[in-house]
This record gives sequence, structure tokens and C-alpha cells, in this order.
Amino acid sequence: MIGAWDGFGHWDYLALMGACVLITLPLEFVFSARVYRRLPLLLKALLPVVVVFAVWDIVAIARDHWTYDPRFGTGIDLGVLPLEELVFFLVIPVCALLSYEAVGTVIGWANRYAVHRANASHGTTSTDRAKPDPHPPEGGDTR
Amino acid sequence: MIPEYTVWTVIGMLVVIGLELFVIRSGIFRRAQYWAALAICLGFQCLVDGWLTKLSDPIVIYNPDMFLGIRFPFDIPIEDFGFGFAMITAVLMLWQRNLNRRPEEAP
Repeated sequence: MIGAWDGFGHWDYLALMGACVLITLPLEFVFSARVYRRLPLLLKALLPVVVVFAVWDIVAIARDHWTYDPRFGTGIDLGVLPLEELVFFLVIPVCALLSYEAVGTVIGWANRYAVHRANASHGTTSTDRAKPDPHPPEGGDTR
Repeated sequence: MIPEYTVWTVIGMLVVIGLELFVIRSGIFRRAQYWAALAICLGFQCLVDGWLTKLSDPIVIYNPDMFLGIRFPFDIPIEDFGFGFAMITAVLMLWQRNLNRRPEEAP
């Protein structure tokens, strides 16, 4: 069980989504994810996913796969789709993109550190020192 | 009979995998970056989805006839992880496909 605290009442679900946005926000700036800052690219990846998974959700609600406890929602519905679910389909894929780009940044740091260590241990001169690959195969682009 | 949410989840996963391998071909499945991000996301899904599905005070109430009834970890229906995999993989493959198309951002 997660805990006995009973949450934010009607704002419970939306507050959870807000927490997801806040917790992942440092990935954009500290880990140079540059997801929000490439908004057209973000929307091109996000919108088809929002539409397809919202349709899945709507059909699943209509077929009684699941329902929502009205105590924990704002009560604002878009047809059968609670507002919170639409927010979910916007927030969670953005969190995934932030994670993906942040991991790419960390891999880039690790690659550069490895090159730095290799140069230091071999005592190479500045002329034959290996340059960091600007386009390493495993993500970590150095843009 | 296999429950409907279970069937839809498996189909959803297969459709996304098939789209990536044969249509979108972004190459994410060959990147450590994708697998690490997926692991991180599924880890955090346990917390977020655990809160949404906790049986003591569920925000989302699942129809027991529509899923396998296996809840792990916490009270999360295991199908949710297939749903999460499909959604996360879909958005990452579209994002990477669009990055590949931009020469200045190509891997």
C-alpha cells in the first residue's frame, strides 16, 4: 500500500499529474533534455499518441474495462473521458521524452568522460588525442 | 476466455512493436538510451499507477471480468505495464523518427 494519507480529494488525480510535471522538469534544464524547447517536434510526436490512447481509453470506458471514482476527480468530462485522463495522455508521454533525452545526455557525458580518461592514461599529445565522436552510436548527441 | 483488457494490451504492444520494426523504423530498439529510459519510466509507473489503482482508495476502478486479476506490484493490474510500454514506445519512436529526419540532429 502506498500510504494512509487520503490525498487531495477532487484534485487528487490532477495533483498527481502536476507532481509528474514538476519532478521531471529538472530533466529539461539540468540534463539538457530540450523537449519543451523543441515544441513543434514535441507536438508532432505527442499528438498522434494522445489521440490513439485517448480513443483506447474512451472505448475501454464504454466497454466497462474501468471507471473512475468521482471523489478523486474534478468531475469535468469530455464525453466519457475524464479531463484527468486527457491530462494523463499529455503528461506521461512528455515525462517519457524527458527521460529519453536526459538518458541521452548522460550517455553523452559518459562517452566524453571515457575519452578524457583514455587520453589522460595514454599520455598522448594534443595532436593525436582522440576527439569525442560528435555522433556516438548510442544516443548522447553532443549538440 | 482471455479478458478483454488483457487481449487489447497484447494487441497494442504487438502493433507498436510492428510499427517500429516495419513502418517507422526509428531504430530505438537498438539504442541503450531507449531501454534505459523505458526501465526508468516503468519504475516510476509503479509509483504513479500504484497511487491510481490502490485498492484501499482506488482512483481508477477496474472491472474484475476485464483483466487477469493479477495485481503487481502494489495493486497495479499487470496489463497496465503493457499499456505503458505501448504508449511510451509509441511516443519515443515518433520522436526519434523525427530527429532522424533532421540532418543536424541525426544520430
